[in-house]
Amino acid sequence: MIEKYSKVGITSIKSLRWWLIAIAVMCVLPLFVPLSVTRLLVMASYLAIFAMSWDMMSGHTGYISFGHPALIGLAGYVTAFLSHQEGFQPPHIILPLYVTLPLGVAAAVGGGMLFFLPSMRVRGPYFALVSLAFMEILHRLVIAIRPEFTGGDRGLPNQPAVVIGAIPNYYLALGLMFATAIGLWYVSRSNVGNVLKAIRMDEDVVEASGISTYRFKRFAFLLSALTAGLGGVFYTHYLQSISPRRAFSTIFLLDIIISAVIGGMGTIVGPMFGGYFLTFILEYLRPYLFGQWRLLAYALVAIFMVIYRPRGFYGIAQDVRNWFRARTREGA
Amino acid sequence: MAKLLEVQGITKRFGGLVAINDLSFHIDEGEVLGLMGPNGSGKTTIFNIIMGDFPPDSGKVLLKGEDITHYPTFERVKMGIARTYQVPRPFRELPIIEDIRVSTIPDSIMGSFRGGTHLEEVERIAEDVGLKGRFSMYPHELTMGDLRRVELAKALATKPKIVLLDEIFAGLTVAEIEEIDKLLRRKMEEGLDFIVVSHDLKALAPLVDRVVVIHFGQFIAEGPFDKIVDNEKVKAAYFG
Repeated sequence: MIEKYSKVGITSIKSLRWWLIAIAVMCVLPLFVPLSVTRLLVMASYLAIFAMSWDMMSGHTGYISFGHPALIGLAGYVTAFLSHQEGFQPPHIILPLYVTLPLGVAAAVGGGMLFFLPSMRVRGPYFALVSLAFMEILHRLVIAIRPEFTGGDRGLPNQPAVVIGAIPNYYLALGLMFATAIGLWYVSRSNVGNVLKAIRMDEDVVEASGISTYRFKRFAFLLSALTAGLGGVFYTHYLQSISPRRAFSTIFLLDIIISAVIGGMGTIVGPMFGGYFLTFILEYLRPYLFGQWRLLAYALVAIFMVIYRPRGFYGIAQDVRNWFRARTREGA
Repeated sequence: MAKLLEVQGITKRFGGLVAINDLSFHIDEGEVLGLMGPNGSGKTTIFNIIMGDFPPDSGKVLLKGEDITHYPTFERVKMGIARTYQVPRPFRELPIIEDIRVSTIPDSIMGSFRGGTHLEEVERIAEDVGLKGRFSMYPHELTMGDLRRVELAKALATKPKIVLLDEIFAGLTVAEIEEIDKLLRRKMEEGLDFIVVSHDLKALAPLVDRVVVIHFGQFIAEGPFDKIVDNEKVKAAYFG
Protein backbone atom coordinates (compact mmCIF):
# COMPACT_ATOMS: atom_id res chain seq x y z
CA MET A 1 0.00 0.00 0.00
CA ILE A 2 1.26 3.45 -0.88
CA GLU A 3 1.70 5.70 2.12
CA LYS A 4 0.12 9.08 2.31
CA TYR A 5 2.48 12.02 2.37
CA SER A 6 2.55 15.57 1.15
CA LYS A 7 3.16 15.33 -2.56
CA VAL A 8 5.25 18.43 -3.02
CA GLY A 9 5.73 19.16 -6.67
CA ILE A 10 2.47 17.76 -7.85
CA THR A 11 0.07 20.37 -9.17
CA SER A 12 -3.50 19.27 -8.87
CA ILE A 13 -6.61 20.55 -10.60
CA LYS A 14 -8.02 21.08 -7.11
CA SER A 15 -5.43 23.77 -6.41
CA LEU A 16 -6.32 25.51 -9.69
CA ARG A 17 -9.83 25.92 -8.30
CA TRP A 18 -8.48 28.45 -5.77
CA TRP A 19 -6.95 30.48 -8.56
CA LEU A 20 -10.28 30.64 -10.37
CA ILE A 21 -12.01 31.83 -7.19
CA ALA A 22 -9.32 34.48 -6.60
CA ILE A 23 -9.58 35.70 -10.21
CA ALA A 24 -13.38 35.88 -9.99
CA VAL A 25 -13.28 37.85 -6.72
CA MET A 26 -10.66 40.28 -8.00
CA CYS A 27 -12.55 40.79 -11.27
CA VAL A 28 -15.71 41.98 -9.52
CA LEU A 29 -13.89 43.92 -6.81
CA PRO A 30 -13.92 47.32 -8.60
CA LEU A 31 -17.73 47.19 -8.50
CA PHE A 32 -17.67 47.36 -4.72
CA VAL A 33 -14.73 49.63 -3.86
CA PRO A 34 -14.12 53.33 -4.49
CA LEU A 35 -11.86 54.42 -7.31
CA SER A 36 -9.10 55.39 -4.89
CA VAL A 37 -8.93 51.78 -3.69
CA THR A 38 -8.93 50.55 -7.29
CA ARG A 39 -5.90 52.76 -7.97
CA LEU A 40 -4.23 51.33 -4.89
CA LEU A 41 -5.00 47.84 -6.16
CA VAL A 42 -3.20 48.65 -9.42
CA MET A 43 -0.07 49.64 -7.47
CA ALA A 44 -0.46 46.53 -5.32
CA SER A 45 -0.69 44.30 -8.40
CA TYR A 46 2.57 45.69 -9.75
CA LEU A 47 4.31 45.29 -6.39
CA ALA A 48 2.98 41.71 -6.28
CA ILE A 49 4.51 41.06 -9.73
CA PHE A 50 7.87 42.43 -8.58
CA ALA A 51 7.76 40.47 -5.33
CA MET A 52 7.00 37.24 -7.24
CA SER A 53 9.80 38.00 -9.67
CA TRP A 54 12.22 38.38 -6.73
CA ASP A 55 10.81 35.25 -5.12
CA MET A 56 11.38 33.16 -8.25
CA MET A 57 15.09 33.85 -8.00
CA SER A 58 15.94 34.71 -4.42
CA GLY A 59 13.08 33.11 -2.50
CA HIS A 60 13.57 29.79 -4.25
CA THR A 61 17.33 29.48 -4.62
CA GLY A 62 18.48 31.57 -1.66
CA TYR A 63 20.61 33.78 -3.93
CA ILE A 64 19.52 37.12 -2.54
CA SER A 65 19.22 39.79 -5.20
CA PHE A 66 19.54 43.45 -4.28
CA GLY A 67 19.39 44.36 -7.93
CA HIS A 68 15.81 43.70 -8.95
CA PRO A 69 14.90 47.40 -9.15
CA ALA A 70 17.70 47.68 -11.72
CA LEU A 71 16.04 45.04 -13.90
CA ILE A 72 12.70 46.78 -13.55
CA GLY A 73 14.29 50.17 -14.18
CA LEU A 74 16.25 48.95 -17.19
CA ALA A 75 13.07 47.64 -18.80
CA GLY A 76 11.26 50.87 -17.93
CA TYR A 77 14.01 53.12 -19.28
CA VAL A 78 14.30 51.25 -22.57
CA THR A 79 10.60 51.38 -23.33
CA ALA A 80 10.38 54.98 -22.07
CA PHE A 81 13.35 56.11 -24.13
CA LEU A 82 12.09 54.50 -27.31
CA SER A 83 8.51 55.73 -26.93
CA HIS A 84 9.36 59.13 -25.44
CA GLN A 85 7.28 62.03 -26.65
CA GLU A 86 9.48 65.03 -26.07
CA GLY A 87 12.74 66.53 -25.00
CA PHE A 88 15.12 64.89 -27.45
CA GLN A 89 17.23 66.43 -30.10
CA PRO A 90 16.69 64.76 -33.43
CA PRO A 91 17.36 62.25 -34.74
CA HIS A 92 15.27 60.26 -32.30
CA ILE A 93 12.97 57.56 -33.52
CA ILE A 94 9.74 57.19 -31.60
CA LEU A 95 8.51 53.65 -31.75
CA PRO A 96 5.02 52.32 -30.99
CA LEU A 97 4.40 50.64 -27.65
CA TYR A 98 3.93 47.19 -29.15
CA VAL A 99 7.58 47.40 -30.20
CA THR A 100 9.02 49.18 -27.16
CA LEU A 101 7.36 46.95 -24.57
CA PRO A 102 9.00 43.71 -25.77
CA LEU A 103 12.29 45.55 -26.26
CA GLY A 104 12.12 46.74 -22.65
CA VAL A 105 11.54 43.20 -21.42
CA ALA A 106 14.39 41.93 -23.61
CA ALA A 107 16.67 44.61 -22.13
CA ALA A 108 15.88 43.44 -18.60
CA VAL A 109 16.62 39.83 -19.53
CA GLY A 110 19.73 40.66 -21.58
CA GLY A 111 21.17 43.20 -19.16
CA GLY A 112 20.46 40.96 -16.21
CA MET A 113 22.11 37.99 -17.90
CA LEU A 114 25.19 40.08 -18.63
CA PHE A 115 25.68 41.16 -15.04
CA PHE A 116 24.11 38.50 -12.88
CA LEU A 117 24.96 35.24 -14.57
CA PRO A 118 28.74 35.39 -14.13
CA SER A 119 28.17 36.20 -10.45
CA MET A 120 25.98 33.13 -10.03
CA ARG A 121 29.13 31.05 -10.01
CA VAL A 122 29.96 32.58 -6.65
CA ARG A 123 27.86 31.97 -3.59
CA GLY A 124 26.42 33.68 -0.56
CA PRO A 125 26.91 37.40 -0.09
CA TYR A 126 28.97 37.79 -3.28
CA PHE A 127 25.93 37.42 -5.47
CA ALA A 128 24.02 39.94 -3.38
CA LEU A 129 26.91 42.41 -3.62
CA VAL A 130 27.20 42.06 -7.38
CA SER A 131 23.46 42.61 -7.79
CA LEU A 132 23.65 45.70 -5.61
CA ALA A 133 26.56 46.99 -7.66
CA PHE A 134 24.53 46.38 -10.82
CA MET A 135 21.78 48.63 -9.51
CA GLU A 136 24.24 51.34 -8.47
CA ILE A 137 26.06 51.22 -11.83
CA LEU A 138 22.80 51.69 -13.71
CA HIS A 139 21.80 54.47 -11.34
CA ARG A 140 25.05 56.34 -12.02
CA LEU A 141 24.84 55.71 -15.75
CA VAL A 142 21.36 57.16 -15.91
CA ILE A 143 22.22 60.26 -13.89
CA ALA A 144 25.72 61.07 -14.98
CA ILE A 145 26.30 59.61 -18.42
CA ARG A 146 24.30 60.96 -21.34
CA PRO A 147 21.58 62.62 -19.26
CA GLU A 148 20.32 64.07 -22.52
CA PHE A 149 19.06 60.57 -23.33
CA THR A 150 17.90 59.50 -19.89
CA GLY A 151 16.65 62.82 -18.59
CA GLY A 152 19.21 62.71 -15.76
CA ASP A 153 17.73 63.20 -12.30
CA ARG A 154 14.42 64.31 -13.76
CA GLY A 155 13.92 61.08 -15.67
CA LEU A 156 11.60 60.63 -18.63
CA PRO A 157 8.16 62.08 -18.01
CA ASN A 158 5.09 62.29 -20.27
CA GLN A 159 5.14 58.69 -21.38
CA PRO A 160 2.28 57.28 -23.39
CA ALA A 161 -0.15 55.09 -21.46
CA VAL A 162 -0.97 51.56 -22.57
CA VAL A 163 -4.57 52.03 -21.45
CA ILE A 164 -6.22 55.08 -19.93
CA GLY A 165 -8.25 55.23 -16.74
CA ALA A 166 -8.20 53.45 -13.38
CA ILE A 167 -10.51 50.58 -14.32
CA PRO A 168 -8.78 49.54 -17.58
CA ASN A 169 -5.42 49.84 -15.83
CA TYR A 170 -6.75 47.71 -12.99
CA TYR A 171 -7.70 44.89 -15.33
CA LEU A 172 -4.42 45.19 -17.24
CA ALA A 173 -2.38 44.98 -14.02
CA LEU A 174 -4.60 42.21 -12.68
CA GLY A 175 -4.31 40.18 -15.88
CA LEU A 176 -0.54 40.53 -15.87
CA MET A 177 -0.36 39.70 -12.20
CA PHE A 178 -2.45 36.54 -12.46
CA ALA A 179 -0.73 35.38 -15.65
CA THR A 180 2.64 35.83 -13.93
CA ALA A 181 1.44 34.29 -10.68
CA ILE A 182 -0.03 31.14 -12.24
CA GLY A 183 3.00 30.67 -14.52
CA LEU A 184 5.52 31.05 -11.70
CA TRP A 185 3.37 29.03 -9.31
CA TYR A 186 3.33 26.17 -11.81
CA VAL A 187 7.13 26.30 -12.06
CA SER A 188 7.43 26.48 -8.28
CA ARG A 189 5.29 23.36 -7.84
CA SER A 190 7.08 21.41 -10.56
CA ASN A 191 10.28 19.39 -10.27
CA VAL A 192 12.13 22.50 -11.39
CA GLY A 193 10.76 24.36 -8.35
CA ASN A 194 11.77 21.47 -6.11
CA VAL A 195 15.33 21.58 -7.41
CA LEU A 196 15.47 25.36 -6.86
CA LYS A 197 14.25 25.00 -3.27
CA ALA A 198 16.70 22.17 -2.70
CA ILE A 199 19.49 24.48 -3.95
CA ARG A 200 18.48 26.94 -1.23
CA MET A 201 18.72 24.17 1.37
CA ASP A 202 22.03 22.61 0.27
CA GLU A 203 23.49 23.35 -3.14
CA ASP A 204 26.37 20.86 -2.87
CA VAL A 205 23.98 18.01 -2.19
CA VAL A 206 21.90 18.94 -5.25
CA GLU A 207 25.08 18.79 -7.37
CA ALA A 208 25.83 15.43 -5.78
CA SER A 209 22.40 14.29 -6.99
CA GLY A 210 23.60 14.67 -10.58
CA ILE A 211 21.97 18.02 -11.23
CA SER A 212 23.71 21.07 -12.68
CA THR A 213 22.66 23.73 -10.20
CA TYR A 214 23.95 26.44 -12.54
CA ARG A 215 21.50 25.33 -15.23
CA PHE A 216 18.54 25.56 -12.86
CA LYS A 217 19.66 28.83 -11.26
CA ARG A 218 20.08 30.33 -14.72
CA PHE A 219 16.54 29.29 -15.61
CA ALA A 220 15.17 30.78 -12.37
CA PHE A 221 17.02 33.99 -13.04
CA LEU A 222 15.77 34.12 -16.62
CA LEU A 223 12.18 33.76 -15.44
CA SER A 224 12.75 36.28 -12.70
CA ALA A 225 14.26 38.86 -15.06
CA LEU A 226 11.50 38.22 -17.60
CA THR A 227 8.85 38.87 -14.95
CA ALA A 228 10.66 41.94 -13.61
CA GLY A 229 10.96 43.28 -17.17
CA LEU A 230 7.32 42.59 -17.94
CA GLY A 231 6.17 44.30 -14.76
CA GLY A 232 8.68 47.11 -15.33
CA VAL A 233 7.50 48.14 -18.80
CA PHE A 234 3.80 48.17 -17.92
CA TYR A 235 4.46 49.88 -14.57
CA THR A 236 6.41 52.64 -16.33
CA HIS A 237 3.60 53.29 -18.79
CA TYR A 238 1.02 53.12 -16.03
CA LEU A 239 2.89 55.86 -14.12
CA GLN A 240 3.62 57.52 -17.48
CA SER A 241 7.08 58.42 -16.31
CA ILE A 242 10.31 56.95 -15.00
CA SER A 243 13.01 58.52 -12.90
CA PRO A 244 16.14 57.23 -11.16
CA ARG A 245 14.73 58.12 -7.76
CA ARG A 246 11.83 55.75 -8.31
CA ALA A 247 13.54 53.06 -10.38
CA PHE A 248 16.76 52.60 -8.46
CA SER A 249 15.71 53.43 -4.93
CA THR A 250 16.56 51.38 -1.89
CA ILE A 251 13.02 51.87 -0.58
CA PHE A 252 11.61 50.30 -3.74
CA LEU A 253 14.04 47.40 -3.24
CA LEU A 254 12.92 47.01 0.38
CA ASP A 255 9.25 47.07 -0.65
CA ILE A 256 9.91 44.17 -3.02
CA ILE A 257 11.96 42.10 -0.60
CA ILE A 258 9.72 42.71 2.41
CA SER A 259 6.61 41.80 0.40
CA ALA A 260 8.23 38.48 -0.45
CA VAL A 261 9.52 37.87 3.07
CA ILE A 262 6.30 38.60 4.92
CA GLY A 263 4.28 36.71 2.31
CA GLY A 264 6.45 33.60 2.53
CA MET A 265 9.57 33.10 0.45
CA GLY A 266 9.71 30.34 -2.12
CA THR A 267 5.94 30.04 -2.44
CA ILE A 268 4.99 32.62 -5.16
CA VAL A 269 1.49 32.89 -3.65
CA GLY A 270 2.94 34.35 -0.44
CA PRO A 271 4.88 37.19 -2.10
CA MET A 272 1.83 37.94 -4.27
CA PHE A 273 -0.24 38.36 -1.11
CA GLY A 274 2.66 40.23 0.51
CA GLY A 275 2.59 42.81 -2.30
CA TYR A 276 -1.08 43.58 -1.65
CA PHE A 277 -0.65 43.51 2.13
CA LEU A 278 2.28 45.90 2.12
CA THR A 279 0.66 48.36 -0.29
CA PHE A 280 -2.49 48.58 1.82
CA ILE A 281 -0.81 48.58 5.21
CA LEU A 282 1.50 51.39 4.12
CA GLU A 283 -1.44 53.36 2.80
CA TYR A 284 -3.60 52.87 5.86
CA LEU A 285 -0.71 53.60 8.22
CA ARG A 286 -0.20 56.94 6.50
CA PRO A 287 -2.40 58.99 8.91
CA TYR A 288 -0.74 57.44 11.96
CA LEU A 289 2.91 57.10 11.02
CA PHE A 290 4.66 59.73 8.96
CA GLY A 291 7.57 59.40 6.58
CA GLN A 292 10.44 57.34 7.91
CA TRP A 293 8.37 56.01 10.83
CA ARG A 294 6.26 54.06 8.40
CA LEU A 295 9.34 52.51 6.89
CA LEU A 296 10.63 51.69 10.33
CA ALA A 297 7.32 50.03 11.23
CA TYR A 298 7.28 47.71 8.26
CA ALA A 299 10.98 46.94 8.58
CA LEU A 300 10.26 45.83 12.16
CA VAL A 301 7.37 43.67 10.93
CA ALA A 302 9.72 42.08 8.40
CA ILE A 303 12.40 41.41 11.03
CA PHE A 304 9.77 39.90 13.32
CA MET A 305 8.56 37.64 10.51
CA VAL A 306 12.07 36.50 9.57
CA ILE A 307 12.86 35.59 13.18
CA TYR A 308 9.57 34.15 14.40
CA ARG A 309 7.63 33.25 11.24
CA PRO A 310 10.23 32.59 8.54
CA ARG A 311 7.59 30.95 6.37
CA GLY A 312 5.61 34.21 6.33
CA PHE A 313 1.85 34.54 5.98
CA TYR A 314 1.83 31.53 3.71
CA GLY A 315 3.29 29.42 6.52
CA ILE A 316 0.78 30.81 9.01
CA ALA A 317 -2.07 29.96 6.62
CA GLN A 318 -0.68 26.43 6.22
CA ASP A 319 -0.44 25.98 9.99
CA VAL A 320 -4.03 27.16 10.47
CA ARG A 321 -5.24 24.78 7.73
CA ASN A 322 -3.36 21.86 9.26
CA TRP A 323 -4.78 22.70 12.68
CA PHE A 324 -8.33 22.66 11.31
CA ARG A 325 -7.70 19.42 9.46
CA ALA A 326 -6.33 17.80 12.61
CA ARG A 327 -9.36 18.97 14.59
CA THR A 328 -11.73 17.68 11.93
CA ARG A 329 -10.00 14.29 12.03
CA GLU A 330 -10.21 14.20 15.81
CA GLY A 331 -13.90 15.03 15.66
CA ALA A 332 -14.64 12.32 13.09
CA MET B 1 40.23 -7.17 -13.14
CA ALA B 2 39.59 -3.77 -14.74
CA LYS B 3 40.09 -0.66 -12.68
CA LEU B 4 36.81 1.11 -11.99
CA LEU B 5 38.03 4.20 -10.19
CA GLU B 6 41.58 5.37 -9.76
CA VAL B 7 43.29 8.30 -8.09
CA GLN B 8 46.79 9.02 -9.38
CA GLY B 9 49.31 11.14 -7.48
CA ILE B 10 46.72 13.44 -5.90
CA THR B 11 48.07 16.34 -3.84
CA LYS B 12 45.90 18.91 -2.12
CA ARG B 13 47.07 21.81 0.02
CA PHE B 14 44.94 24.14 2.11
CA GLY B 15 47.23 27.10 2.67
CA GLY B 16 50.29 25.69 4.38
CA LEU B 17 48.62 22.39 5.26
CA VAL B 18 49.22 19.44 2.96
CA ALA B 19 45.95 17.51 3.33
CA ILE B 20 46.71 14.92 0.63
CA ASN B 21 50.24 14.17 -0.42
CA ASP B 22 50.87 12.33 -3.69
CA LEU B 23 48.20 9.74 -2.97
CA SER B 24 47.41 6.95 -5.42
CA PHE B 25 45.03 4.01 -5.12
CA HIS B 26 42.35 2.31 -7.17
CA ILE B 27 39.27 0.14 -6.85
CA ASP B 28 38.61 -2.72 -9.25
CA GLU B 29 35.23 -3.59 -10.69
CA GLY B 30 33.33 -5.92 -8.38
CA GLU B 31 35.41 -4.92 -5.39
CA VAL B 32 34.70 -3.29 -2.04
CA LEU B 33 37.55 -1.12 -0.86
CA GLY B 34 38.04 0.09 2.70
CA LEU B 35 39.76 3.43 3.22
CA MET B 36 41.28 3.65 6.68
CA GLY B 37 43.25 6.20 8.59
CA PRO B 38 43.22 8.05 11.88
CA ASN B 39 41.32 11.30 12.37
CA GLY B 40 42.47 14.04 10.02
CA SER B 41 44.29 11.66 7.68
CA GLY B 42 42.49 13.05 4.63
CA LYS B 43 39.82 10.39 3.97
CA THR B 44 36.94 12.82 3.53
CA THR B 45 39.18 15.20 1.57
CA ILE B 46 39.97 12.49 -0.97
CA PHE B 47 36.23 11.72 -1.24
CA ASN B 48 35.59 15.41 -1.88
CA ILE B 49 38.24 15.42 -4.59
CA ILE B 50 36.83 12.28 -6.21
CA MET B 51 33.39 13.94 -6.24
CA GLY B 52 34.78 17.20 -7.64
CA ASP B 53 33.84 19.38 -4.68
CA PHE B 54 37.22 21.02 -5.13
CA PRO B 55 40.09 20.35 -7.54
CA PRO B 56 43.39 18.74 -6.55
CA ASP B 57 46.57 20.81 -6.83
CA SER B 58 48.05 17.99 -8.85
CA GLY B 59 47.18 14.43 -9.86
CA LYS B 60 44.28 12.80 -11.64
CA VAL B 61 40.99 11.05 -10.96
CA LEU B 62 40.08 8.39 -13.51
CA LEU B 63 36.78 6.57 -13.96
CA LYS B 64 37.12 3.48 -16.16
CA GLY B 65 40.27 5.04 -17.58
CA GLU B 66 38.65 8.37 -18.42
CA ASP B 67 40.23 11.42 -16.82
CA ILE B 68 37.44 13.13 -14.89
CA THR B 69 39.65 15.42 -12.80
CA HIS B 70 38.13 18.58 -14.22
CA TYR B 71 34.56 17.38 -14.60
CA PRO B 72 31.93 19.11 -12.44
CA THR B 73 30.33 17.09 -9.66
CA PHE B 74 27.00 16.55 -11.40
CA GLU B 75 28.76 15.07 -14.47
CA ARG B 76 30.65 12.62 -12.26
CA VAL B 77 27.39 11.59 -10.62
CA LYS B 78 25.79 11.05 -14.01
CA MET B 79 28.81 8.90 -14.95
CA GLY B 80 28.10 6.66 -11.97
CA ILE B 81 29.84 7.96 -8.83
CA ALA B 82 27.69 8.67 -5.78
CA ARG B 83 28.45 9.42 -2.16
CA THR B 84 27.07 9.64 1.34
CA TYR B 85 28.20 12.27 3.82
CA GLN B 86 29.91 11.75 7.16
CA VAL B 87 27.34 14.05 8.74
CA PRO B 88 24.04 13.34 6.93
CA ARG B 89 22.89 16.27 4.82
CA PRO B 90 19.16 15.87 4.19
CA PHE B 91 17.05 18.70 2.73
CA ARG B 92 15.63 19.85 6.04
CA GLU B 93 12.32 21.21 4.68
CA LEU B 94 11.38 18.16 2.62
CA PRO B 95 9.76 14.92 3.70
CA ILE B 96 12.30 12.19 3.10
CA ILE B 97 10.53 10.72 0.07
CA GLU B 98 10.76 14.11 -1.67
CA ASP B 99 14.38 14.38 -0.57
CA ILE B 100 15.18 11.07 -2.26
CA ARG B 101 13.14 12.09 -5.29
CA VAL B 102 15.44 15.07 -5.96
CA SER B 103 18.14 12.53 -6.88
CA THR B 104 15.92 11.17 -9.65
CA ILE B 105 15.03 14.50 -11.27
CA PRO B 106 16.54 14.76 -14.76
CA ASP B 107 19.30 17.28 -15.28
CA SER B 108 17.34 19.29 -17.83
CA ILE B 109 14.69 21.96 -17.49
CA MET B 110 12.30 20.48 -20.05
CA GLY B 111 12.91 16.96 -18.77
CA SER B 112 12.06 18.12 -15.26
CA PHE B 113 8.85 19.77 -16.42
CA ARG B 114 7.80 16.62 -18.19
CA GLY B 115 8.27 14.69 -14.97
CA GLY B 116 11.17 12.34 -15.25
CA THR B 117 10.69 10.92 -11.80
CA HIS B 118 8.51 7.95 -11.02
CA LEU B 119 7.17 8.07 -7.53
CA GLU B 120 6.78 4.30 -7.44
CA GLU B 121 10.46 3.89 -8.23
CA VAL B 122 11.43 6.36 -5.50
CA GLU B 123 9.20 4.50 -3.05
CA ARG B 124 10.80 1.23 -4.06
CA ILE B 125 14.29 2.63 -3.38
CA ALA B 126 13.14 4.01 -0.01
CA GLU B 127 11.58 0.68 0.91
CA ASP B 128 14.67 -1.15 -0.27
CA VAL B 129 16.86 0.68 2.26
CA GLY B 130 14.33 0.06 5.02
CA LEU B 131 12.47 3.35 5.21
CA LYS B 132 9.00 1.89 4.84
CA GLY B 133 6.49 3.67 7.05
CA ARG B 134 8.58 6.84 7.28
CA PHE B 135 8.10 8.38 3.82
CA SER B 136 6.29 11.46 5.06
CA MET B 137 8.62 12.13 7.97
CA TYR B 138 10.99 15.07 8.07
CA PRO B 139 14.72 14.75 8.82
CA HIS B 140 14.41 16.13 12.36
CA GLU B 141 12.00 13.28 13.17
CA LEU B 142 14.44 10.52 12.16
CA THR B 143 17.08 8.56 14.06
CA MET B 144 20.70 8.65 12.92
CA GLY B 145 20.22 5.17 11.48
CA ASP B 146 17.35 6.34 9.32
CA LEU B 147 19.25 9.45 8.24
CA ARG B 148 22.04 7.15 7.06
CA ARG B 149 19.45 5.13 5.14
CA VAL B 150 18.18 8.32 3.50
CA GLU B 151 21.76 9.15 2.50
CA LEU B 152 22.13 5.71 1.01
CA ALA B 153 18.77 5.90 -0.77
CA LYS B 154 19.74 9.24 -2.31
CA ALA B 155 23.01 7.78 -3.55
CA LEU B 156 21.26 4.68 -4.96
CA ALA B 157 18.61 6.83 -6.66
CA THR B 158 21.29 8.27 -8.95
CA LYS B 159 21.85 4.72 -10.34
CA PRO B 160 25.55 4.60 -9.46
CA LYS B 161 28.29 2.13 -10.38
CA ILE B 162 30.26 3.01 -7.26
CA VAL B 163 29.24 4.59 -3.98
CA LEU B 164 31.62 6.37 -1.60
CA LEU B 165 30.41 5.69 1.92
CA ASP B 166 31.77 8.18 4.44
CA GLU B 167 31.51 6.91 8.02
CA ILE B 168 28.28 5.09 7.24
CA PHE B 169 28.31 3.39 10.67
CA ALA B 170 29.05 6.48 12.77
CA GLY B 171 26.56 7.21 15.52
CA LEU B 172 24.58 4.00 14.97
CA THR B 173 23.44 1.48 17.55
CA VAL B 174 24.67 -2.11 17.27
CA ALA B 175 21.31 -3.16 15.82
CA GLU B 176 21.40 -0.36 13.26
CA ILE B 177 24.96 -1.29 12.25
CA GLU B 178 23.80 -4.85 11.63
CA GLU B 179 20.90 -3.65 9.49
CA ILE B 180 23.05 -1.30 7.42
CA ASP B 181 25.65 -4.04 7.08
CA LYS B 182 23.02 -6.45 5.71
CA LEU B 183 21.79 -3.79 3.33
CA LEU B 184 25.30 -3.09 2.00
CA ARG B 185 25.97 -6.80 1.54
CA ARG B 186 22.79 -7.14 -0.47
CA LYS B 187 23.80 -4.22 -2.67
CA MET B 188 27.25 -5.74 -3.14
CA GLU B 189 25.67 -8.98 -4.28
CA GLU B 190 23.64 -6.96 -6.76
CA GLY B 191 26.96 -5.79 -8.23
CA LEU B 192 27.45 -2.38 -6.70
CA ASP B 193 31.00 -1.31 -5.78
CA PHE B 194 31.84 0.69 -2.66
CA ILE B 195 34.68 2.60 -1.12
CA VAL B 196 33.98 2.56 2.59
CA VAL B 197 35.48 4.95 5.09
CA SER B 198 34.87 3.89 8.68
CA HIS B 199 36.36 4.29 12.10
CA ASP B 200 34.41 1.23 13.18
CA LEU B 201 36.97 -1.37 12.17
CA LYS B 202 34.83 -4.20 13.50
CA ALA B 203 32.02 -3.22 11.17
CA LEU B 204 34.39 -2.53 8.30
CA ALA B 205 36.36 -5.79 8.44
CA PRO B 206 33.75 -8.25 7.10
CA LEU B 207 32.62 -5.89 4.34
CA VAL B 208 35.80 -5.09 2.48
CA ASP B 209 37.90 -7.09 0.03
CA ARG B 210 40.92 -4.87 0.43
CA VAL B 211 41.99 -1.93 2.55
CA VAL B 212 44.07 1.15 1.79
CA VAL B 213 45.47 2.99 4.80
CA ILE B 214 46.45 6.64 4.70
CA HIS B 215 48.07 8.85 7.29
CA PHE B 216 48.62 12.62 7.03
CA GLY B 217 47.30 12.37 3.47
CA GLN B 218 49.91 9.80 2.44
CA PHE B 219 49.56 6.18 1.44
CA ILE B 220 51.07 3.90 4.09
CA ALA B 221 49.73 0.40 3.45
CA GLU B 222 47.39 -1.75 1.35
CA GLY B 223 46.12 -5.31 1.52
CA PRO B 224 43.50 -7.63 3.06
CA PHE B 225 42.05 -6.33 6.34
CA ASP B 226 43.46 -9.03 8.63
CA LYS B 227 46.99 -8.46 7.35
CA ILE B 228 46.69 -4.69 7.43
CA VAL B 229 45.80 -4.55 11.12
CA ASP B 230 49.09 -6.31 11.91
CA ASN B 231 51.09 -3.92 9.76
CA GLU B 232 53.63 -2.00 11.88
CA LYS B 233 53.13 1.28 10.00
CA VAL B 234 49.37 1.05 10.51
CA LYS B 235 49.78 0.29 14.20
CA ALA B 236 52.12 3.26 14.52
CA ALA B 237 49.64 5.53 12.72
CA TYR B 238 46.77 4.50 14.98
CA PHE B 239 48.52 4.05 18.30
CA GLY B 240 51.59 6.28 17.92
